Amino acid sequence: MDVSALSIKDIQLGLQQKKFSDVELVKGYLDRIRKYDKDIQSFITLCEETALEKAGEVDRRIANGEELGFMAGVPVALKDNMCTNGIKTTCASKMLSDFVPPYDAGIVEKLRQGDAVILGKLNMDEFAMGSSNENSAFFKTKNPWDLERVPGGSSGGSAAAASAGFAPITYGSDTGGSIRMPASFCGLVGVKPTYGTVSRYGLIAFGSSLDQIGTFGRRTEDAAYALEAIQGFDPKDSTSLQKGYATDYATSMKSGIKGLKIGIPREFFQEGLHPEVKDSVLKAVSLLERQGALVEEFSLPITDSGLSAYYIISSAEASSNLGRYDGVRYGYRTTEFSSYEELVIKSRTEGFGDEVKRRIMLGTYVLSSGYYEAYYKKAMLFRQKVKKLYQSAFEKYDTVISPTVPVLPFKLGEKTADPLAMYLADTYTVNVNIAGIPAISVPSGFSQTGLPIGIQLMGNYRSEETLFKFAYSLEQELALDLVPKIGEVK
Amino acid sequence: MKVTKEEVAYIAKLSNLMLTPEQAEKQAEEFSNILNHFDTINQENLTGIEMYSFEDEPLRLRKDEAIPFKNSDELYANTKSMQETAIKIPKVVE
Repeated sequence: MDVSALSIKDIQLGLQQKKFSDVELVKGYLDRIRKYDKDIQSFITLCEETALEKAGEVDRRIANGEELGFMAGVPVALKDNMCTNGIKTTCASKMLSDFVPPYDAGIVEKLRQGDAVILGKLNMDEFAMGSSNENSAFFKTKNPWDLERVPGGSSGGSAAAASAGFAPITYGSDTGGSIRMPASFCGLVGVKPTYGTVSRYGLIAFGSSLDQIGTFGRRTEDAAYALEAIQGFDPKDSTSLQKGYATDYATSMKSGIKGLKIGIPREFFQEGLHPEVKDSVLKAVSLLERQGALVEEFSLPITDSGLSAYYIISSAEASSNLGRYDGVRYGYRTTEFSSYEELVIKSRTEGFGDEVKRRIMLGTYVLSSGYYEAYYKKAMLFRQKVKKLYQSAFEKYDTVISPTVPVLPFKLGEKTADPLAMYLADTYTVNVNIAGIPAISVPSGFSQTGLPIGIQLMGNYRSEETLFKFAYSLEQELALDLVPKIGEVK
Repeated sequence: MKVTKEEVAYIAKLSNLMLTPEQAEKQAEEFSNILNHFDTINQENLTGIEMYSFEDEPLRLRKDEAIPFKNSDELYANTKSMQETAIKIPKVVE
């Protein structure tokens, strides 16, 4: 069966009305993966057998009239930094290439309880550090819209898979834009929820005060439903929010945006922004205005220092979080060593890739004596400033809109030689993580050469419902065809 | 800000990583570029800002209770060398 453009609603109706069985559905997705993933290379691990088993169970339970979970029979795929009991979880690193977690992450537990079908684990930049997926220790995922270009990162595998129709929705994690950026590059809705909305238990840590799990889908409704399935309090994550979760986003998102206010931060539209991206975003804003939203320009001077603060804080946290990989308890262990020190140093040097080592060292540097005050402390103070600036913006506006990425999807190898050039691609997304607020990237159109462009909707804490309204309204107005013809540029 | 290859080598040591002299040289150059960008933060007026603020999310503590892991064999399955329930490493004390 052709699964390339199915929504979650199509799947639910199809199963309910017995148009197809869950086994047929899952086989459809597996066939599509087999056909196209040899070129796209999004999956690190494909769980064919267990996925078909689960689908068979869903079919039996439907036939018996049993009650099923929120995600009954819906095929999903996960970024390979979320622990799956009994399924290899590599973080796209040589360090964890044979790591099989003995437990499920909070999100995986929720998906299993919800009767979702887990198709497999997706490629990413090693330890979620990167903006192109070229830092994976295994292979480079390609953008389904143009196989010579990157899908973005670090959740590039999740974005490429959702865009290619390998699953109706996929999950990723976002520390500085790692969901929104690839969503923009692959023509998807990408949701980074408020910090604390989704449990981080079992998400392999990068920058713990910034990391947040979120969703990818071709439609706002799918991405929002996928979030509803995994949000909620988890006592195993001390930063998890206890209450105040909105539900039924699908209904609330359809109530329109008449009278809602949009703020346009002028600093997000300056030097370095590709003119086609700028035009596409401003056109999208005018469409929202036509639907009754009120638009105003304002100043939010955080882009340059925000990027610095982000790389200082995230690298500092990474240097501490990745200290656990010592070749002793689990993970890669070097083969020849004569002392404990040699075992640790050689295992880390051989097990980590260049970008991960660079971040560990940057983090060690900004935390080291003499530099702590100059870098880390200032970054943390600036973090407070960013929070306050956003707070005052959201006293006036329901959403703040910017481009998601300043550039169009770039070619493989185009930015790998210069780490700073790669970091600059995150300019518009990192401040959202610094403040802990939610943001969504929504497709706003295509470049002249057919490459997707995304618009970023930022909102106040816990304002996902409002952001979905804007995303849905824009999507309805634009009615873009978001199914790529794999291997061809439009 | 200029970072020397000696400084990079020292940071590598603190990070439990090893760099060849060529890698240290390359990293020193990349580090200098990145740290130059980080200097934007020095132009910010940060006076009067408190570093930590716990007012929004008060600290939550749970009971200090041990929860035994149900399958210790699976837990140790990722370990490279074991002796009963101990992980083997090279001798650290002579």
